[in-house]
Amino acid sequence: MEAPADKPESRSKQDREAGSSGASSQAATRRYFDKFERIVGYLQSLAETHFRSSADSAVVKGEADSISGYLGGLSNTFAALSTKYLMSGLVTSGARAALEIDRSDSGFPVHREVLQMASDLSQADRHLVNLPGREQIKSEIVTHILREHTIPRRLQYALSQRIYYENLMQQQLFLTQNDPVLSWLGNTGPSRRRFLIHWAVYDSQRNLPNIYAMVVEDSGGRPLHRDDERWPLVQQHLMAQSLSSLKLLTIARGFDKDFPDIHPKSLKRIHIGPMYSSSFTTQRDDIQKLLDEADGEPGQDWLLVWTTESLHSKETKDIRSGLFGSVSQEVFALDHTDAAAFEAGASRIEPSIILPYRPFQALLAGRAPSLKRYKRYVVSPDGTVLAGA
Amino acid sequence: MSQFDSAIREAEAQVRESRQKLESISKSFDAVEQAVGSESEIAIDIENATLEDVHAHNEAMSHSIAELIIGLDEVTSGFSRQFDEMRQKSGWESFVGIFSSAKAESMREERIRMASIDDKLQDLISKSDIIVKILHDQLNTLNQHKDKVEINLKSTLADRETVVAELEAIKAEILGMDPRIIELENKISMEQDPAARTQLETELAEINARYNEHVKDEQVKLAKSQTLERYIEKGKSWIDSLQNQSATQMVLINKLQTDTKQRVVLYDALTKSLKTAQQQDVAHRINEIGVETDKQAQSAMAAIGSATQHRMAEMMEKHEDQMVFARKVLEEKAKSDERFARRFADIVEKHDKNLYGGGAA
Repeated sequence: MEAPADKPESRSKQDREAGSSGASSQAATRRYFDKFERIVGYLQSLAETHFRSSADSAVVKGEADSISGYLGGLSNTFAALSTKYLMSGLVTSGARAALEIDRSDSGFPVHREVLQMASDLSQADRHLVNLPGREQIKSEIVTHILREHTIPRRLQYALSQRIYYENLMQQQLFLTQNDPVLSWLGNTGPSRRRFLIHWAVYDSQRNLPNIYAMVVEDSGGRPLHRDDERWPLVQQHLMAQSLSSLKLLTIARGFDKDFPDIHPKSLKRIHIGPMYSSSFTTQRDDIQKLLDEADGEPGQDWLLVWTTESLHSKETKDIRSGLFGSVSQEVFALDHTDAAAFEAGASRIEPSIILPYRPFQALLAGRAPSLKRYKRYVVSPDGTVLAGA
Repeated sequence: MSQFDSAIREAEAQVRESRQKLESISKSFDAVEQAVGSESEIAIDIENATLEDVHAHNEAMSHSIAELIIGLDEVTSGFSRQFDEMRQKSGWESFVGIFSSAKAESMREERIRMASIDDKLQDLISKSDIIVKILHDQLNTLNQHKDKVEINLKSTLADRETVVAELEAIKAEILGMDPRIIELENKISMEQDPAARTQLETELAEINARYNEHVKDEQVKLAKSQTLERYIEKGKSWIDSLQNQSATQMVLINKLQTDTKQRVVLYDALTKSLKTAQQQDVAHRINEIGVETDKQAQSAMAAIGSATQHRMAEMMEKHEDQMVFARKVLEEKAKSDERFARRFADIVEKHDKNLYGGGAA
């Protein structure tokens, strides 16, 4: 599974200084996606081994399922983008420009790339009708090679686009907006149902995937998943509010207010990223330094951060509404002593990192003090993921 | 929106037509090429009128593509409407506000919470993609034709060189024949013996016949060389024009792509900061106090409202900048159109001049 890829020559000073710029050469693009595929793979195995196995409740199980679903989608999205940009830099005219990566911040492709992909998806069937089939392109490639004795770049490009559109049509993708999905957890009272709602967005402000999971209690007349009036509105509301610049508290309170008979009990948001890599990104100095120091072998110079924010309700109060009615309103638990979490409008913030063991050793040696509070997961040389000290 | 669709159809039809015209011109160039190869009579039917027709048509086409781009601006003005809506109270909300300002405020907040421009962004991207695709297709066609004509032209140049060499050879031969003829004529005028005279005259007649043949040959070759010369001139200007067209296409593509990129980022950031500014701190403050009294919430909202108002005003000013920028895009577009037309005028003129001036081998 190891595909050592990163060559130090791509790490020129110039490369670093270019803000969010294209991974221009084809080799760089390939290495970038190769790296991402591996990292997402580690995350998936982490979700399997460390979270699902320790899942004690239906909530956590449901969350773990949804998270691995989104990670799978993310990996498909990256695979699709990698075929889309496979030939970038090799075909000159008419081909797609290089992939744009947010180098200075998230290390992920910029939001517009994912948005563009959704637009491609909506036109994929048209493209597939126009493009010749895989077999035909392949036989044309063979003919071209035999007759002309040159590399048929244009045909290769056509084939890459064909595969790209086929992938778009066939696979579950992580799009800019992944609409809410509802699953029933059980009943807590005679007409009170518990649901887990999860959804995900590709955040445009930080160029990162965000996964949301919310547990709600529904006291409406009809169960939420069969309610044609409320459920579409709930979906629209949640999608419109999924901004990383909004605090969890803001989202939860807004939701509580707009849907009087749906009671948000807990809300969780996972920011996947940023990704640090000494060859592709140019972020905070001490992490970059850590990776530079650890960089002895190819494929050992990366680090992925993810942050879980969670907010839960501590009590419910009834407040007056109108002249006679009353509405129950959630009061959310905010810890005044935890300054960071309080400021972020969350009950708890849990930052974690996953990294190969070389940079982990450098980390233990006291480099990168900004990572001290982070929960650590280490990828051992044989590819298994261990919880670090 | 359907206006945009019909504009797209129109542009596509024009692109198709232009492709046919390109095709027909390339075909005439091909025909010339074949005629040269087969030594038969070369008839050039690439009339000036045809080329001009293509130029005129291209201008019309770039015009309708410009219209498409202006159509995109209509989509984007939808964004600024939405921004305004987020900033102001709707009619119903201000009506409610007469009775209860808190109720009106909370209605507006709810509306803002539901607001999203992602579908509009998607729309913008797919529309600009459609235009870019049309432009790209056209660019590819232009480049293909250019390549083909260039290859043809190269072999024609070689052909012309051989024709000119042949012509030179014939000329040299004719020149070489002259002294022989003069000598014969002199001999004939001085010869007294009728038998020898007859023999000399026969010889002269033979040489004259050969001479005439050579002169005829020379004329044929000269005509051929001139035709090829004219053809080459036309081919050159045709390549020039194709190059110019593809440059224009590339400029348009580049501009459109950059614009769309910037717009997506800008509109997205503006919406999100509007949304955030509107809700953020309110929720934070009334998490605990809101349940006690509505009044405190109200005053909190009012205080924050005035603070965010200022920030939003700033943002809207930035948005104004963007509108200025959009206008500038249009101006630049107009400029490039003008440049385009001017360039073409130059080429047509140059072309005409060369046609009448050229010809001497």
